[in-house]
Amino acid sequence: MATSRICVPGQRLNRADDKHIGGKGTYSRNGFIYSSVLGYWEERPTNDNTEILISVHTGETQTVIPSIDDIVTARVTNVNPRFCKCEILSVGTTPLCDVYRGLVRKEDVRATEKDRVEMYRCFRPGDIIIARVLSLGDAQSYILGTAENELGVAIGMSEAGVSMVPVSWCKMQCPKTLNEEFRKVAKVRPEYIQTVHQG
Amino acid sequence: MPTDTRRISGPEISHSPYDYCLTPPIDLIGADKKRLDGRLPAQLRPLFLRAGVISQARGSGYIEVDQTKVICAVYGPREVLRREDFSLKGQLTCDFKFTTFSCRLRRQHQQDNQEKDLSVQLLEALEPAVCLQKYPKSQINIYVTVLQNDGSALSAAIICASLALASAGIEMYDLVLASSVAMRDALTIVDPTEREEEAVLNKTHKAELNAGSMTVAFLPSINQVSAISSDGEILCETLTKSMRLCVENCLKLYPVLQQALVKHRLDKQADTS
Repeated sequence: MATSRICVPGQRLNRADDKHIGGKGTYSRNGFIYSSVLGYWEERPTNDNTEILISVHTGETQTVIPSIDDIVTARVTNVNPRFCKCEILSVGTTPLCDVYRGLVRKEDVRATEKDRVEMYRCFRPGDIIIARVLSLGDAQSYILGTAENELGVAIGMSEAGVSMVPVSWCKMQCPKTLNEEFRKVAKVRPEYIQTVHQG
Repeated sequence: MPTDTRRISGPEISHSPYDYCLTPPIDLIGADKKRLDGRLPAQLRPLFLRAGVISQARGSGYIEVDQTKVICAVYGPREVLRREDFSLKGQLTCDFKFTTFSCRLRRQHQQDNQEKDLSVQLLEALEPAVCLQKYPKSQINIYVTVLQNDGSALSAAIICASLALASAGIEMYDLVLASSVAMRDALTIVDPTEREEEAVLNKTHKAELNAGSMTVAFLPSINQVSAISSDGEILCETLTKSMRLCVENCLKLYPVLQQALVKHRLDKQADTS
């Protein structure tokens, strides 16, 4: 079924009728589906076998930018009592070629007892966090949130400079000094760990 | 003229050697109905296109139209660093630069007015073709450098930038093609060289009513003109006629651009496997 043909931007691929729908890398105009990127043309029946999904694959280079509801991985750069600044490193499993600035506000850190959040007991600079994009924010940065069990600090460094082990949802322990430090710990899903190790 | 104080400039008083030579008015077309470089008036120059020439850039392109050589790099989409108003649409920035040695007269390192003007024209030609709403809060930077200018630099730059954008994987509605013509009296020559461009715009020797040059950028699949720029004094009917001629010439270049992109994709495939 998969046809391997290269198409260029602006190339007409098919009629946009009730049998064919445009997927990634395409756009439709005047009842036709056109390619919008340089890549390989692929036609695939949809799951219920009623329509044919036409998409264009660019190959290994993917241009991703964070959009609302995406799960992103970010590094904390700056923490203050109201918010913490971070730089977004990857969207889902796709690394970004250039970092984007993000912001976790105090009220978006956790779902319960929002008013009792202390930023210094949740994040520290250098931590790798998993967060969800809440909004595109202002001109400066994206607004991120960690108010879910799966979201929060994934990798935290202790004061001794060792990667810590989570002991509860709000504490992590340093394996070297056995000191406990406060973090908003993420309950990282096992399938996600798999992809991190492979990468 | 702004001078760059951080660079060592030449002697304080210097004259261009061109000041001492007379430029006789040249005839655009000889007795044998051919142009200075032996082309017919409606003949395009041979074209060479290649994508992926700059490894650091996200996408890049190189174009050679006989002696006109232009290289282009595309970076992004990346974060907008300057503090600006929030926009859900992406931004496109264009930077057009002649290298100091590219023209007959030496260019400065800093961008001069003509280069700024050409940057804006390039941006206007490319902006309608890029799906900017797919890149909220991001910017795409295009850097065009003319390595050697032998006329029609803007049209070469537009084609090159569109090639670079497509090779960078930026979502576009269509490719952009461009073509230019020069006119004098009843004569219209396509794809003018630098000498021809200059001869047309140089009005010292003869007061003409109809002399100038024109560049048209065209989206072939959408069948729309994205930008027109013209220079000189041209009659209205000549303008419409030459615009049609430019569009025809753009369509002649379309397969070349397509082939260059397909070849780039195949080369990349061969590299990875």
